[in-house]
Amino acid sequence: MIGENLTTSNPILSAKTINRTFGGLVAVNNVSFTVNKNEIFGLIGPNGAGKTTLFNMITGLIEPSGGQLFYQGEEISFLRPHQIAKAGIARTFQNIRLFGELSALENVTIARHIHTKSGFIRGILGLPPAPSEENRTKQKALELLDLVGLSDRAFQKARNFPYGDQRRLEIARALALEPQVLLLDEPAAGMNPSEKNQLSEFIREIRSQFNLTIILIEHHVPLVMGLCDRIAVLNFGKLIALGDPAQVRTDPAVIEAYLGSE
Amino acid sequence: MNGFLSTYGFLIVSMVMGALLGLSLYLPLMTGQLSLASPGFYALGGYIAAILSTQVFKVSDGLYPIGLVLLEMSIAGVVSGVLGVLVGIPALRLRGIYLAIATIAFVEVLRVLSLNLDITGGAVGIFGIPQPFLTPIEYLWIAIPLLLVTMVLLYRLERIRLGRAFTAIREDELAAGAMGIDPTHYKVLAFTLGAILAGVVGAVSAHFLNTWNARQGTFDASIVYLTSVLIGGTRTFVGPVLGGMVFTALPEVLRAIADTAGLPLWLAQFLRDGRLIIFGVLIVLGTIFFPQGLVTPDLFKRQKNRKSHS
Ligand SMILES: Nc1ncnc2c1ncn2[C@@H]1O[C@H](COP(=O)(O)OP(=O)(O)OP(=O)(O)O)[C@@H](O)[C@H]1O
Ligand SMILES: [Mg+2]
Repeated sequence: MIGENLTTSNPILSAKTINRTFGGLVAVNNVSFTVNKNEIFGLIGPNGAGKTTLFNMITGLIEPSGGQLFYQGEEISFLRPHQIAKAGIARTFQNIRLFGELSALENVTIARHIHTKSGFIRGILGLPPAPSEENRTKQKALELLDLVGLSDRAFQKARNFPYGDQRRLEIARALALEPQVLLLDEPAAGMNPSEKNQLSEFIREIRSQFNLTIILIEHHVPLVMGLCDRIAVLNFGKLIALGDPAQVRTDPAVIEAYLGSE
Repeated sequence: MNGFLSTYGFLIVSMVMGALLGLSLYLPLMTGQLSLASPGFYALGGYIAAILSTQVFKVSDGLYPIGLVLLEMSIAGVVSGVLGVLVGIPALRLRGIYLAIATIAFVEVLRVLSLNLDITGGAVGIFGIPQPFLTPIEYLWIAIPLLLVTMVLLYRLERIRLGRAFTAIREDELAAGAMGIDPTHYKVLAFTLGAILAGVVGAVSAHFLNTWNARQGTFDASIVYLTSVLIGGTRTFVGPVLGGMVFTALPEVLRAIADTAGLPLWLAQFLRDGRLIIFGVLIVLGTIFFPQGLVTPDLFKRQKNRKSHS
């Protein structure tokens, strides 16, 4: 099924000569690529290559200095973060940005915002449909916590979770948006080898269960190679390779970039 | 009892008003915005009530009808709400200390305006504001229901979608945006709700204090209510309610202590006039040692757990 999607190539997200500079530094330099619906698309490259900056532009956290971003045929280059989220793109953060003082459950219910609508008056007075919406929200949040294996600790503060669990909680929170595209920024960072294996499996599962397109930044090369349908390689802001894992692994420019940086 | 009420009636009503003003600062803080605009809207609400009751409604004999006070409160709420949106949209582009400074400037602008306009009575202000009650303590008939309604609203707010959006923005504005929450929208909303509450309280206070002038709702007042919220607690509405009451009463208590015989003169003087210094020190110490204030949500959770274990 995935191969089919790839050959028919059904684009969902694309970047067209996208640029970002910080002062004199060119963090992302004329990068173009297209991500297809339902694929797991890897984004790799040495530290400081511009991977997170690319995510930040896609999710509206920072504006591109030049170029364009398209999502489902519409330009999204200058949308604000909440508009991007509403359009169907969710993300996790490299440096984990959970609502630390809030419980795991609250973290996920907050992310149901765009799928609920009861406002001030109905909410405060508990008029229909607010109470049933509230129940459904909680239900849905618990299901998602269950999916990432945290439902038994739903009422614990997010900041008290171990590192790996925080990363999983961030994924549950992103899934609560019911996104079309999920961006994961180094989801395996800080996990032990067995957690990393489980994570690979888990990412495949959520892709098929929620019919997701996933873009994944990851330094752990075996994980990326085993998981991704296609991989883009950035180095000093430039796209130096793009292809399936076998192609990328043998690409001289990639080998050069990785050996050169180590 | 009657003696107590007539001696302390004024203070008790002031404490309830203090709790309400603490809550008006707490509302924008729910989205993490430190705004000191409340005294400005409080002053505005007071002028609206003062002008309406002395120049528009002009009830000559007997007690002033409570219905008209309620009408003035509603008008003050609406006007403050509209002004809240107008001020909030540009002001909330600023963050942290810059927002605080901008809101102090807003309060100053209103103060200078009220000093110079004819309709606000210039420096003298407006006096002889008609009384709907015979004694100060009876203002509790308005103040207590207002406080209860506000507390119920906030209790509910902290448990629904809207309150969750507020909390998310307070915890991490950037992450909240990534979760589909429009930070600007909710920050302006929270700011406006605080403005409405302050305006309504101002309207009642104008009657309660009988006169209204540019000394109402100044920077000094900001500091008192800021202390109420920062020391009382910034994470649950119970904090500012208790804080507002305690810190409204504190200067009176200090004054009473200052009057006890045998105190050194400098100490008595300090207790009487050192109000702002004491509040300042409390804010500094409080924010260092109790960053969330004294009353925190965890306090209630622990209480609940203890109950369920026993
Ligand atoms: N907000 C910013 N202001 C200034 N420079 C920035 C900013 N964000 C990123 N940079 C710079 O842009 C470059 C790319 O950073 P980016 O975080 O995108 O790299 P990355 O590929 O995600 O690296 P890593 O693997 O270390 O996470 C780096 O040199 C970084 O210092
Ligand atoms: Mg990065």
